[in-house]
Amino acid sequence: MQPYELTLAGAAAAIRAGELSPVELTASVLGRIGAVEDRLGAYVTLAADSARRSAVRAEREIAAGRHRGPLHGIPFGLKDLIDAAGLPTTASSRVGSPHPPATDSAVAARLSAAGAVLLGKTHTHEFGYGLTTPQTRNARDHARIAGGSSGGSAVAVAAGAATFALGTDTGGSIRVPAALNGVVGLKPTYGLLPLHGVTSLSWSLDHVGPLTRTVEDAALVLTALVGRQGPPGSPGTASTTAPTGRSASPAAHGADLPPPESADLTGLRIGVPRQHYFERVDPGVETSVRAAIGQLHACGAELMDIDIPMARYLQATHWGLMVPEATAAHEQTLRSVPELYGEDVRVLLEAGALVPAGDYLRAQRSRALMREAWTELFQQVDVVAAPSVPMAAVRAEQQTVQWPDGTAETVSDAYVRLCAPANITGIPALSLPVAPDGTGLPAGLQLMGRPFDEATLLRVGRAYETASGSVGGPVPVAA
Amino acid sequence: MQDHERLCMTAAELTPQEGARCALRAGLPLADDRLAPVTATANHIQSVLGVLRELDFRQTPPAPVYQAGGPAGAAL
Repeated sequence: MQPYELTLAGAAAAIRAGELSPVELTASVLGRIGAVEDRLGAYVTLAADSARRSAVRAEREIAAGRHRGPLHGIPFGLKDLIDAAGLPTTASSRVGSPHPPATDSAVAARLSAAGAVLLGKTHTHEFGYGLTTPQTRNARDHARIAGGSSGGSAVAVAAGAATFALGTDTGGSIRVPAALNGVVGLKPTYGLLPLHGVTSLSWSLDHVGPLTRTVEDAALVLTALVGRQGPPGSPGTASTTAPTGRSASPAAHGADLPPPESADLTGLRIGVPRQHYFERVDPGVETSVRAAIGQLHACGAELMDIDIPMARYLQATHWGLMVPEATAAHEQTLRSVPELYGEDVRVLLEAGALVPAGDYLRAQRSRALMREAWTELFQQVDVVAAPSVPMAAVRAEQQTVQWPDGTAETVSDAYVRLCAPANITGIPALSLPVAPDGTGLPAGLQLMGRPFDEATLLRVGRAYETASGSVGGPVPVAA
Repeated sequence: MQDHERLCMTAAELTPQEGARCALRAGLPLADDRLAPVTATANHIQSVLGVLRELDFRQTPPAPVYQAGGPAGAAL
């Protein structure tokens, strides 16, 4: 096995045992990038020299006995909406600022403090406003979309061109590309991780989170991102208590979570939606996801049929929040350099100027009602399990999806549909790769939980990995 | 209130010319070649948002950002 094939946890263990150096690992991943990047297009900017220097520094620190933790010396990719000092944040757009930020975003600073090695910036659908990431190709089938908007991050992780990566998620932008490339994606609870230094698409819906090859890896990254001390008064601060009454200390969110010795989920109540999540879903995806849920039941979890509250209003609420907020975020450049935007993004931003304030307020009030309804739902169940996406990766030229009930929707609308509820409600959501649906392409099992209860999602996800025998290796990349 | 101002605040479909006036009023002058695609997109967005008018909000205040579990558990 080459070092680039190791999971984060595997690489960390090898580094800790002195069997692998950060320099060897980083060289291996950079070599992998060199071998596959031309075909995948995962990166906007590579920072190979600084990555090698960071790896040397990590190696020296570890040799001197100053081991910072599991991310020390681990190479990662950063979605190009997230600032890293000295590297331009292009947002994969001609509008993006050519001037590199002077400081790291809060999350990049936390990864740097953990000793992680930044490889470069990964492609996003322009400004995160889309679900395909056209610059990047799917890691498993280059004729298909990467998914988005964190497409570069997902493809890099899937292909072994990063040991882990960060993405952002406003309507599925971590979970969709994770599902379409067969990796793990975690959208944490709204507000758990700081967005300082992250280019906004929609302030009230934006999240940042990890993409990894295993759930264990996601837990390790989340713990580093949460940090030992969250912002004052935030849920990451040890003195606060989560609404569920559980301790919301950082330990509840990740690495301090002990690895389960078995896949026993006895006593856990899993809600399986009767509607919305299994409507207009590809039969192969539904089969895969229901089989995965069946495995959770075999692990001891109780399955309960549930109704998704206010399903009829999900798309309107999501659009009513996102569209005007995105236009407001781009107000200045939309006036000064509109021609520099891609047409698909430009027309959405321009049309957003025509959304009346009354509609925005109705969406905010609808969000309040949904929050109450989902809080009640989580009194019945501990986790909701559903598909992450209604279909596997479509071919790059496909624009719309026709469903057997006679309806049609755009590819982007289809991919947002099952992810948006967790953005509106702010609840944590974890996407896990599930067995190929018969086409050889992966889909995603989505687990949603109570606010700040990432630990339960990670426990269920690990149980599924254990039960299904998932190993978390990179996918072969065709020549 | 002018007619076009009333139109900008209703769910009625906008013509490209009406869309131009509403955009101008919102502070975003649109070139002629933008009017048709922007107005069509705006009308589609409006058709999606219109369903929210069915809801009985009673005294529910807007939630500017998501706050997990309500104000007591407010996120940043």
